[in-house]
Amino acid sequence: MSDTLRARVERLLAGVEQPSRYIDCEWGARERPAATYRAVLAYPDVYDVGMSNQAIQILYDALNAMDGVGCERTFVPWKDMADAMRGADMPLYALESCDPVRDFDLIGITLPYELTYANIVELLDLAHVPVRAASRGEADPLVIAGGPCAYNPEPVAPFFDAILIGDGEEAVAEIVSAHQEARAKGLGRAGVLESLSAIRGMYVPSIHGPEMRPITKRVARNLDAHRSPECPVVPYKDVVHDRVAIEVLRGCARGCRFCQAGMVYRPVRERTPDSVVRDAAAALACTGYEEVSLTSLSTADHSMLADILRRLTRRLEGTGVAISVPSLRVDAFSVEIARLLGGGKKTGLTFAPEAGTQRLRDVINKNVTEPDLLETVAKAFSSGWRRVKLYFMLGLPTEADEDLVGIGDLVTKVLETARDVTPPSERGAIRVAVSVSTFVPKAHTPFQWEAQIPLEEVRRRQAVLRAHMPRKGVELSYHDAEVSFLEAVLARGGREIAEVIETAWRNGARFDAWTEEYSLRRWLEAFDECGVDPRSIANRERPVDEELPWDHISAGVSKAFLRIERGRALEGATTQDCTVAGCLGCGVCGTVGAENVLAAGHRG
Amino acid sequence: MADGRFRLRVCYRKAGPLRFLSHLETVRACERSIRRAHVPYAVTHGFNPHMKIAFGPALPVGTAGEREYYDVWLESYVPAAEVLSALARSARPEIAAIGAVYVSEHEPSLTKAIAIAEYEVEVEGGDALQASLRDSLVSVVAAGVLSVEHKGKTKVFELATALPKEPEVRSSRGRVVVTVTVRIGERGSLRPDALVNAALTHVADHGRVVSVTRTDLFVEDGGSVRRPL
Repeated sequence: MSDTLRARVERLLAGVEQPSRYIDCEWGARERPAATYRAVLAYPDVYDVGMSNQAIQILYDALNAMDGVGCERTFVPWKDMADAMRGADMPLYALESCDPVRDFDLIGITLPYELTYANIVELLDLAHVPVRAASRGEADPLVIAGGPCAYNPEPVAPFFDAILIGDGEEAVAEIVSAHQEARAKGLGRAGVLESLSAIRGMYVPSIHGPEMRPITKRVARNLDAHRSPECPVVPYKDVVHDRVAIEVLRGCARGCRFCQAGMVYRPVRERTPDSVVRDAAAALACTGYEEVSLTSLSTADHSMLADILRRLTRRLEGTGVAISVPSLRVDAFSVEIARLLGGGKKTGLTFAPEAGTQRLRDVINKNVTEPDLLETVAKAFSSGWRRVKLYFMLGLPTEADEDLVGIGDLVTKVLETARDVTPPSERGAIRVAVSVSTFVPKAHTPFQWEAQIPLEEVRRRQAVLRAHMPRKGVELSYHDAEVSFLEAVLARGGREIAEVIETAWRNGARFDAWTEEYSLRRWLEAFDECGVDPRSIANRERPVDEELPWDHISAGVSKAFLRIERGRALEGATTQDCTVAGCLGCGVCGTVGAENVLAAGHRG
Repeated sequence: MADGRFRLRVCYRKAGPLRFLSHLETVRACERSIRRAHVPYAVTHGFNPHMKIAFGPALPVGTAGEREYYDVWLESYVPAAEVLSALARSARPEIAAIGAVYVSEHEPSLTKAIAIAEYEVEVEGGDALQASLRDSLVSVVAAGVLSVEHKGKTKVFELATALPKEPEVRSSRGRVVVTVTVRIGERGSLRPDALVNAALTHVADHGRVVSVTRTDLFVEDGGSVRRPL
């Protein structure tokens, strides 16, 4: 343990905001001083955001369960602390031991969201580890990435020695073992990377060339084979998701054509009610949390959710411990779940129709109809809710002004439906929050070839939408289109983007995911300095035969399927959910050797 | 569920790096340790059922506490020593429970009852600091009032009321330690580091407050003082 560094850290804490981000001592934090192999999991944002990430807890648990392996955590210090650390010439340290991150054998960095990319550079720089993999020497740790953004790894590839594509729970142990064995054989850095490249799902940018077979993602076939962490680390700080999180299923086969998660996390793998209830009860007992959340891309889709909720509610009766189910569907069942779980709390329900007309909802394969939404809203307001939030996307492929007018019309009908079922004395309290984001075309989706509409056009369409939106009872907000523009560039760019990221960081980019920290101008200057045209990446439609920067990465869903789905989108034809309608030939099951696993054996 | 019938007063510490927790963070940490200890805590009625628990006066971020308190209501009787050892096993030592006794339902709440707080302020500085700081504190106290700026607001303290005892200065492990006893009023209390910093501005040797610890809390009981537990 580095007591001198700890004392120096504590001296800095008196002068920074929210010092509980930088201290260890949490319940469930593991200290393994006898470890002969040391890994540190890093999240490219502040503690409060990183500690809300389930993957960190799962991998932390898996690594610390290995013999002789000690795993710690680190996060990006907020600007005040980072500046103070640089001023004191203090390297980034791991929370548990307070040892410098650069002294570890392995740094594992999550890639949660494109707008954290500048923070990867910040993290490595603060750690005094060379930012580029090519500049690292024998004494430097291995720097490995994984997470949702790994499906187009190129923009960040030069920063990493290796990148894991897909599920991490089985692969982490293989990575550590391969590293240990390679070193035991006396292999140098190049040899270590060679051995890592033999691991399934592992992309080693310095080895893997375009002529080689694509890297196919790792898949944990059976989630029940992996227990949810029994004793996750319990933060003192009120982190973003401050509760026990139990993943009830992974993958979603609804097939929304804009949704990257829906494509890359296939197939659907549900956990059984037995294992969900067992792991939730164990984690609640060990952590003392006051809430458990049943997480997934679409929890209401779990084929035995009612059974899980009945059993958990019975177990937790009288304890004051709450159950929450995020990601509600647009249906009465979801409102019923919210009603059962919320007790007296009726803070607000959120639904995502995504588009304003049936035509466009068919294009994006969002299988929600206007009657579905209105029926759901009626159920919510007659059950006592007075506020709903609706998510829409602007700039979807084929969108015309009629579709924007359609959002206004739909919101008007939602308001009317809400009024009809609300007692006259309470109608003044009716609120419909309308949140509109800008469509970002993502890799490995049927819309991966589409253009994002230019910023000027976004602004024009926002104005059209505003003009057709009812005023009374509506709270209209837009996700910053300038952020979505950069997101599109970073999501679809190639290796040339790495230099831009480094340049933007050098010009001061940090915490771009935080609205008040984001500056498009800073990024545009970086693109300019590097001679990269961001508009040709974000705003250009790509011919379907154009080589894409992520063609060497396979999420299992075939490019042919994506093309067919794109064709169907343009025809306005919908595609069903394969867990209900049977196999649609997306290719994932055959490619990754897995299949849909439904707890009840069927859905619907 | 019925309201808890057993009111247990727990004394705990907030030490080491955990002195940087805010009051809310401390509250949450204690509540979670109670759940982990499987203590039969009572839950309030209402829309938002929660643990029935009440805390003593808040500690600022960065200030450690050696003897802090909360009252938690239990549904059934468990010997206090048993609860204490379960609580001690259910939290990191830096925020562990160190004492527990049942108190009567008629006792006033901790925030009402606790009237006096004792602090130790550690100051780093040269050899001559101890004597000069002692003299400086005497003159600050003799001035009778002290204005303290905090978050853009100025508060004026009447020191005769705010300080029931004269500050004491001693040296320990190469540092100067000032013991400051303050009265906790309805409108807040004087921050001990504010008093010491005021004194330091009149001292030639450069001293710097390095740590503040609340060492004890007292209730007043007919002219004498006692610990709440």
